[in-house]
Amino acid sequence: MNRKGYFGEFGGFFVPEILVHALKELSSSYDRLKNDNEFNMELSALLSRYAGRPTPLYFAKRLSEKFGGRIYLKREDLAHTGSHKINNALGQALLAKKMGKTRVIAETGAGQHGVAAATACALLGLECEVYMGEVDVERQKLNCYRMNLLGTKVITVKNGSKTLKDAINEALRDYAASSDHTHYLIGSVVGPHPYPAMVRDFQSVIGRETKAQILADTGRLPDSLIACVGGGSNAIGLFHPFLEDKDVKMFGVEAGGNGVHSGKHSASVVAGAEGVLHGARTLILQDDDGQILETHSVAAGLDYPAVGPEHPYLSRLGRATYVAVDDSKALFAFHLLSETEGIIPALESAHAVAYAVEHARQNQNEVIIVNLSGRGDKDVAEVAQMEGYF
Amino acid sequence: MSLIEALSSSGADILEIGLPFSDPIADGPVIQNAMMRSLKGGFKVNDIFNLIKKTRASGIDIPIIVMSYLNPIIRIGGNEFCKKSAESGADGILLVDMPIEESEELDEIVKKHGMDVIRLIAPNTCEARMMEIFSKSTGFVYAVSVSGTTGARDNLSKQSIDFLRRVASIRTCPLAVGFGISSPDHVRQIRAIGVDAVIEGSKLISIYSDYTLSNEERLSRIEEHATEMKRATVD
Repeated sequence: MNRKGYFGEFGGFFVPEILVHALKELSSSYDRLKNDNEFNMELSALLSRYAGRPTPLYFAKRLSEKFGGRIYLKREDLAHTGSHKINNALGQALLAKKMGKTRVIAETGAGQHGVAAATACALLGLECEVYMGEVDVERQKLNCYRMNLLGTKVITVKNGSKTLKDAINEALRDYAASSDHTHYLIGSVVGPHPYPAMVRDFQSVIGRETKAQILADTGRLPDSLIACVGGGSNAIGLFHPFLEDKDVKMFGVEAGGNGVHSGKHSASVVAGAEGVLHGARTLILQDDDGQILETHSVAAGLDYPAVGPEHPYLSRLGRATYVAVDDSKALFAFHLLSETEGIIPALESAHAVAYAVEHARQNQNEVIIVNLSGRGDKDVAEVAQMEGYF
Repeated sequence: MSLIEALSSSGADILEIGLPFSDPIADGPVIQNAMMRSLKGGFKVNDIFNLIKKTRASGIDIPIIVMSYLNPIIRIGGNEFCKKSAESGADGILLVDMPIEESEELDEIVKKHGMDVIRLIAPNTCEARMMEIFSKSTGFVYAVSVSGTTGARDNLSKQSIDFLRRVASIRTCPLAVGFGISSPDHVRQIRAIGVDAVIEGSKLISIYSDYTLSNEERLSRIEEHATEMKRATVD
């Protein structure tokens, strides 16, 4: 980062004046607390004793035998609430508490971040409201009930495309009016400074653990890291601690939807153009007039027209490679991992698994680590319905 | 165009034309819905230049401010956008999601094309920052009377009045107030503080988008309301 909040030419602080004060307060609080021993000890105790960290790094033997390479899965699906989202939710909820905020708002797409935020708030005694697009509410009903169960109110967003981006718009509007007592707990490495750096820091525990685990297991660094990218928090969390290890290749897998050429996808790094959305300069799926396009993915958590600003930066640097995997391949991997390893992956993570087996086929001698960012329980009903099971 | 004529003939001193954007995070439901209707109706960025040209051709010569979110401008190119705005007859640009931290380059472009840089001040903007915003603005500064988004409110709170007093006391260029303004009473209250202008958006749009009425009726209600508001600025 050169200028404040920038990753090369991406990132920044493009917000209405009504949000400036709140974000500056957040930024200075985070700068103070991230080096505070007590804060870090408290967070790391929550991560280990409450959220179940460290998550295992598991060698997927049968999958490796079938496709080649040595494929490892970083089991974020085994973290409390079923995905990596809890790492960031606990970090930010604790931060909110230290800042004296009494209410937390969040946005959610698949519902995983909403559940994680609701969980962290229940644990820390914070009031919580989650914005969720109407389309996502429909396809992730069970997660809505989970949030209710955890004492959180889900607010259905009926504006725009009624998905994740509109939930973020609505949360930002709420925050503009409520920031004196409310913290906005963004669930990914998107948004204005300090969110992309802060969320990355909270998620980097994934990569730090992975590095220690693979060294302990194999005595060497991996050849390739593979993670799915919607906003990009699980990917950046895995990648970041390896950035200086120049021989470790990194692959971000975006949602190809019906195929990148169909126009119905969510592959912002692969097919987006530069612009500003939700406070950051980044790559965005937009039309020639700069209007944001509606996106598509079978995985609600990847269904977002932009991407965290550090990803286009890593892409331009050539440090990480971004590819798109379409719905059908993700669904194939959803079945594949279930049958081969007894692990039902989230549809989001299934994109990474799909790319990993292709990569393994062509790179038979590699040690490959896939971030299995979430478990697929939330997707089972939808896929069963899609396949005509009921 | 008929709306612009109605406002102008009812005494509006400045026109602010908003460029519809798919993700207007600073706007409340009324303006959001208006933007969605416009985009669904096929609005293209070039249409705003044509609208301004038509306005000028019809002899309306009050200042015109183009209000926009940043992304469409980045897409078209800052220079191209400002050049076309100025050539069409616009006098100023207000970029909602462009705080002073990021705006240096674009400010220069706006000024190069002879237009004013209009900026917002919010209720929680600290005094040092207010001074900086005044020093980096031309034309007028737009004070946001309430925290949150655009949209009509019934009353101006004491907090809003106190805030506006503070801004008015340190202003170094004309000061206009917007967000939540919807009645002649608001205008009189604000006038008493020494503010130079009020900005009204959501209320006008709600009047204009009552589609149960005929086009003529809607326009005459706009004229009626605008005339009343104008009267409150001078009575």
